[in-house]
Amino acid sequence: MLFNSYPFIFLFLPVVLFGYFALGRRSHILLPVSISFYSFTQIAFLVDAYRGNVARYALPHYALFVTYFPHLIAGPILHHKDIIPQFERADAKRPDPHLILCGLIIFGIGLFKKTGLADGIQPLVALAFGQATPSFDQAWIGAPAYTFQLYFDFSAYSDMAIGMSLMFGIFLPLNFNSPYKATSIIEFWRRWHMTLSQFLRDYLYIPLGGNRRGRVLRYLNLMITMLLGGLWHGAAWTFVAWGALHGAYLCINHAWSYFAPKPGLRLAPLARLAAFVLTFLAVVVAWVFFRADSMAQALSILSKMADPTRIVFGGAEIAKAALIALYAVIAWFLLNTQEIMGYDHRNRTVGEHLRAVPMRPWFLYASAAALAFGILGIQQHSEFIYFRF
Amino acid sequence: MSVSGKNLLRLLGTCAALLAGAAALTFIVDPLQIFRPARLFAAMYSTDTRLQNAGLIQSQDFDTVFMGTSLAIHFRQSDVDKALDVRSLKLAMTGSNSHEQVFVLAAALQRHPDRVIWELDDWIFCDAVDIDANPYLPADLYRRNAKGIARYLFNGAMARESAWILARSIPPLSNLAARLSTDAVFSFTVPNVDDIFVLSSDIDVGKAYNATKTTAAFTNITDPARSAGFAEGYNYDAMVRNFESDAVGLIASNPDVDFDIYFPPYSILQWVAMRDGSPATLKIVYDLTTHINRRLAEFPNVRLHDFRAVRDVTHDLDNYSDVIHHSPAIDLKVLSWLANGTYLVDRSAPTASLERLRAQVEDYQIDTDRVAR
Repeated sequence: MLFNSYPFIFLFLPVVLFGYFALGRRSHILLPVSISFYSFTQIAFLVDAYRGNVARYALPHYALFVTYFPHLIAGPILHHKDIIPQFERADAKRPDPHLILCGLIIFGIGLFKKTGLADGIQPLVALAFGQATPSFDQAWIGAPAYTFQLYFDFSAYSDMAIGMSLMFGIFLPLNFNSPYKATSIIEFWRRWHMTLSQFLRDYLYIPLGGNRRGRVLRYLNLMITMLLGGLWHGAAWTFVAWGALHGAYLCINHAWSYFAPKPGLRLAPLARLAAFVLTFLAVVVAWVFFRADSMAQALSILSKMADPTRIVFGGAEIAKAALIALYAVIAWFLLNTQEIMGYDHRNRTVGEHLRAVPMRPWFLYASAAALAFGILGIQQHSEFIYFRF
Repeated sequence: MSVSGKNLLRLLGTCAALLAGAAALTFIVDPLQIFRPARLFAAMYSTDTRLQNAGLIQSQDFDTVFMGTSLAIHFRQSDVDKALDVRSLKLAMTGSNSHEQVFVLAAALQRHPDRVIWELDDWIFCDAVDIDANPYLPADLYRRNAKGIARYLFNGAMARESAWILARSIPPLSNLAARLSTDAVFSFTVPNVDDIFVLSSDIDVGKAYNATKTTAAFTNITDPARSAGFAEGYNYDAMVRNFESDAVGLIASNPDVDFDIYFPPYSILQWVAMRDGSPATLKIVYDLTTHINRRLAEFPNVRLHDFRAVRDVTHDLDNYSDVIHHSPAIDLKVLSWLANGTYLVDRSAPTASLERLRAQVEDYQIDTDRVAR
């Protein structure tokens, strides 16, 4: 295939990228909403058709797959082999009270994550990314604030999409699996925006040769994949830097796994803790590029994060740091949505503990509270961060 | 009915009960004082002025409304009352445009005040989104229609603020709740209406307002990389159109209300920055001001005050925190000028003050030792 070859990458890609950057700077060009997400699904469909891996689908099912609304604006990225067979099932055409109940609870959790958690921490992001130059502590509050805001915002949309779809009897793939619990960057990408990672792996990294052509080319393929993954988010150098940083992280992580000695049994818990902290810090640093308006702003914030000579840490900063700590506890130690609901995408099961018995009171109240507070938190000037990608 | 069906109904019923409970809590505590002035619970106020003003208009007694942008936001109502012998309500909003100001003023005028004091910046007449497309100003709450009231009652942030105000009123919890009153968590943190957006008493005014900060701001805005920002939004025809439809429209439809309108005393560096960085923008401002001065002179219920050429203030850069925002000491001077009519624009020569400003701007020489490039 032409697209699998390095000559294509090195000869044509610069031309494509130049056009992309040139178009990206012309903000008046209007693009259809969610173009990137249905482009992904169609690329996958066309490539699989070329490979002869596409079954014969009925046109209405294919059309429904392309236009299936719950996921359209911010994912998860759907795959025809996963979704169209579900449309073809007869029992998917009848309302199932159990799936409606579970879908509503998952939707409620997602809505609460968005309006209660992501929007709640949003004002703290300005400490690092606002107009004023941050101090050391303000930068270290603002950068993690964005780290948690983005996670709760984006995973909220995925939960809501999964919940909505479940009410129609369709199981969407998981997109998040507590990514900040990861103890390596490799694991992080298995837990963060999982359907994008799978798409990039199956339709970019593996066609480029993946890890089959030696270690050096594997690292090169990783870098290319992550750079393009970064560019997918927008025509800006900050996204290029974010992708390059994650590409470098992955290369270092793979090299470390290969060359470094394994820790002994006694040191394993300590090594695991260090790996967890290092992974989280690396992710926070990369998000600074992702969020910053320019490379200059990103470098300025990072320089403040590395300069402990200017510390404010007044009452406001202490209160905000406590709020960040609360978000960290939620992200690191609480169960995620699929664990709470027993959502098993592969086996098409969910909430089996709710199927035959009345809901326990605490679960009923907690679910209703999530849905109610999610509704109460809806604000006029709040949108999902990933709507713009 | 299946077990799942029953579970679904219980979930929806509990959710509806929680929503109703939150709405009831907000209705009873009423943090914005939309339905009644605070009596059962101690009043608390928010510095989100676009939101707070909707409640202030309903809950406060006033005969004079004070409107403006950030140039007017630090004034104390008690100072206004003392200087002008009125009972004022400050409704200034930072960064507000003429659509917002006139919409809020129109809502306040429904309470029939006698007088409006209006701090007027030229840039408020730049084109802006319509009131109903403005996400930061709850227009329906000002209108008190069903949509606005529902948005207020079924609002998690309001329910949280209500619970906190309630906690502050319960003796065993009041101390702890007061200590937790940080703007990181709560919005309604101001206990006195006179303190909304005034400078905190622990601020060192000399540090906040001085020539070093003013010249640094001048250097910043005249940096060639940023000076293109001067012209942003400035379009003479659009600004005249907005002035006519907003300001003139409001004044003409309220002939029984006295309007004291004033141009604030920006530092001379604001004009010099435009003179050197964007002469075309400066010309638009001059032309717009000429139009405004002449047009307002036609209305018997308008007194126009022009403080832009008050050399003693505008040329003393220690009075400013940047090129436009003046210190609390100048707030008091503005009030005394308003009270005495010191810089009242003569209806028979409405552009005389503008000519004085124009001459000052042309003559001003930048102190290059102070303004580091």
